[in-house]
Amino acid sequence: MVDQVRQGAKHGMDWLVITDHGSATHAKIGMDKVNLDIRAARAAYEDTLVFQGLEWNIPGAEHATVFVHPGTNEVSVLKQFETDYDDSVKGAGDSTPANEALAIAGLAFLSDQVRRRKVKDALMLANHPARRGVDSPHEIRAWRDASPASHQIAVGFEGAPGHQAAGLPAPLGPGRARGIYDNNPSANSFAGYPLESYRTWGGFDWMTATVGGLWDSLIAEGKPWWITANSDSHQVYADTAVRGPGGSFEGNGRYEDPIYGGQIDITQGDYWPGQYSRTHVGSDGFSYAAVMDGIRAGRIWVDHGQLISGLDVRVSGGGRWSTLGGALHVKRGTKVTLTVDVALADGPNWAGFLPKLAKVDVIQGDVTGPAADRDTFTAPTARVVRSYEVNKPTGTVRLTYDLGRVDHPVYVRLRGSDGNRSAPGALGAAVDPAGPAIDVVGDADPWKDLWFYTNPVWVLPS
Amino acid sequence: MGPSFVTPYALWADTPVSALRAADHLLLALAAELALPEGTFACTHLIRGDRPRVALSFTLPSEPLLRTAEERLTAQGYEVTPGVPDEVGRAVVYPGADSLNGTVTVGELLTRSAIDRVTVLGSPGQPPAGQTLLTHGHVRPQWQGDELVLAAMPAVGGTLVPFEVPDPTPCCADH
Repeated sequence: MVDQVRQGAKHGMDWLVITDHGSATHAKIGMDKVNLDIRAARAAYEDTLVFQGLEWNIPGAEHATVFVHPGTNEVSVLKQFETDYDDSVKGAGDSTPANEALAIAGLAFLSDQVRRRKVKDALMLANHPARRGVDSPHEIRAWRDASPASHQIAVGFEGAPGHQAAGLPAPLGPGRARGIYDNNPSANSFAGYPLESYRTWGGFDWMTATVGGLWDSLIAEGKPWWITANSDSHQVYADTAVRGPGGSFEGNGRYEDPIYGGQIDITQGDYWPGQYSRTHVGSDGFSYAAVMDGIRAGRIWVDHGQLISGLDVRVSGGGRWSTLGGALHVKRGTKVTLTVDVALADGPNWAGFLPKLAKVDVIQGDVTGPAADRDTFTAPTARVVRSYEVNKPTGTVRLTYDLGRVDHPVYVRLRGSDGNRSAPGALGAAVDPAGPAIDVVGDADPWKDLWFYTNPVWVLPS
Repeated sequence: MGPSFVTPYALWADTPVSALRAADHLLLALAAELALPEGTFACTHLIRGDRPRVALSFTLPSEPLLRTAEERLTAQGYEVTPGVPDEVGRAVVYPGADSLNGTVTVGELLTRSAIDRVTVLGSPGQPPAGQTLLTHGHVRPQWQGDELVLAAMPAVGGTLVPFEVPDPTPCCADH
């Protein structure tokens, strides 16, 4: 615990979530034990907010980060949730209608716990959603809709998975697939997903990386669904610590504390929290509640390798403005402008170099309302409408994009990269001429392929 | 090897197996027991729904050989159905499969085996015949219409590898 929190703090994390993996033993013993460690870490690192959560094995689907606001019931609510709704506890891993319903019931339980003030707040973010093809579009929509829109519990998924060091080439790296995205269709996967969806693209999950893909199809509904970028830090690339010998997870609910391994471990594919992947939340203050509010509001952008140091996004028109996660309500025909102030990297990243932003893309799509087919995973109107080259090493860059007089509901989102690797998007060059390229198996140095993505801003004329 | 010649002499058997790797193992064990003749295609098919599982199909060169396979499978307790469960079988046993080991060129792969075409994820068109492909001894092409197609992807050193890896990370391996 102290390793994760102190490394997170060192790498610039103002907040992080500890998500031990769900299991019967973890629910029974581990949850209580890790709470003691988390409380100690909160006391020792006052400048880092440390949430307790768990990596939920979603019934009939992938994993998810579930976490709650700290408080007297944080452990009891999480334990009850894990005991009743974790697929490894319930034997509910198959993608069956019954298991999918159990996942919905789990999110409804969390919603109810917040409504009854057992905990102040709870959030769910789906992890590595396309890795095994088992998060079908209708399940994602069902998680989104499982709680009242007035206080949504499931609010998004990882735009980029953790384990970003896994593709560092051998012999000095693990030589695997970036993000450990090395799976294939199964009897539990959604039949409609193409093989391309099982791999990462510029380090990002296919659902997010595809312009006009699944994420755009969710945003096009006009409903909140946000992206994050997490470390998924289990065992860290080139760390010298190894799991301590002896002990029994089954008996103790935890692994033994790490010991010095005597050499660096280059078989591990993770980075420390904040070392490579970051989720930036626009928070109204330094508090657990404010961070959770900021996440729920979608005031989030994500980056890899500290590609940029700050972002101010405003969509303005009719004397008003709105930012990431928000909606600008204007009269039909109002002239609307997107203004972006990008603070370029202000120092070397954790690989020791100053990242250079090469370009920023504006992606725009129509808001078409609730999807009639809940398994929709394309958004035909979404495309890159403007690309800006950035020829400046430091300082701030202002980009403006004129949306014109807006007469129907639309959204815009942003994406930028270091320009090192790109390829036409999955839906063609007319949609995305220079999007992220598929990551090369065993040769994906993540520091040489950096991207940032923002959440959307809607423009809703009436 | 030219276009695959697929006969109408096909049958399939349901299994209780849900993991693809276990299904491959079962299929290869059955294939050995059935002493399948050259020219047989044996495929896995994903059965989704209330009870996700993998079915196995066998397409044999002639009707008498089909009858023999059917008798042997039935004797082992399998419920056998004529035909194939769907048109998108993933081939484990196919002509030339045994010859695809180590590193081969795309041209060699197409010549030696029943695979009709190689595609590369993230790239349009087809790779040149001289492009090398590291097989890892695990080449599982899939039927697309009347073509047996191998999906590949770029790998370290400018080679290709099959999309499907022999040992994907298990779903709950601490990740």
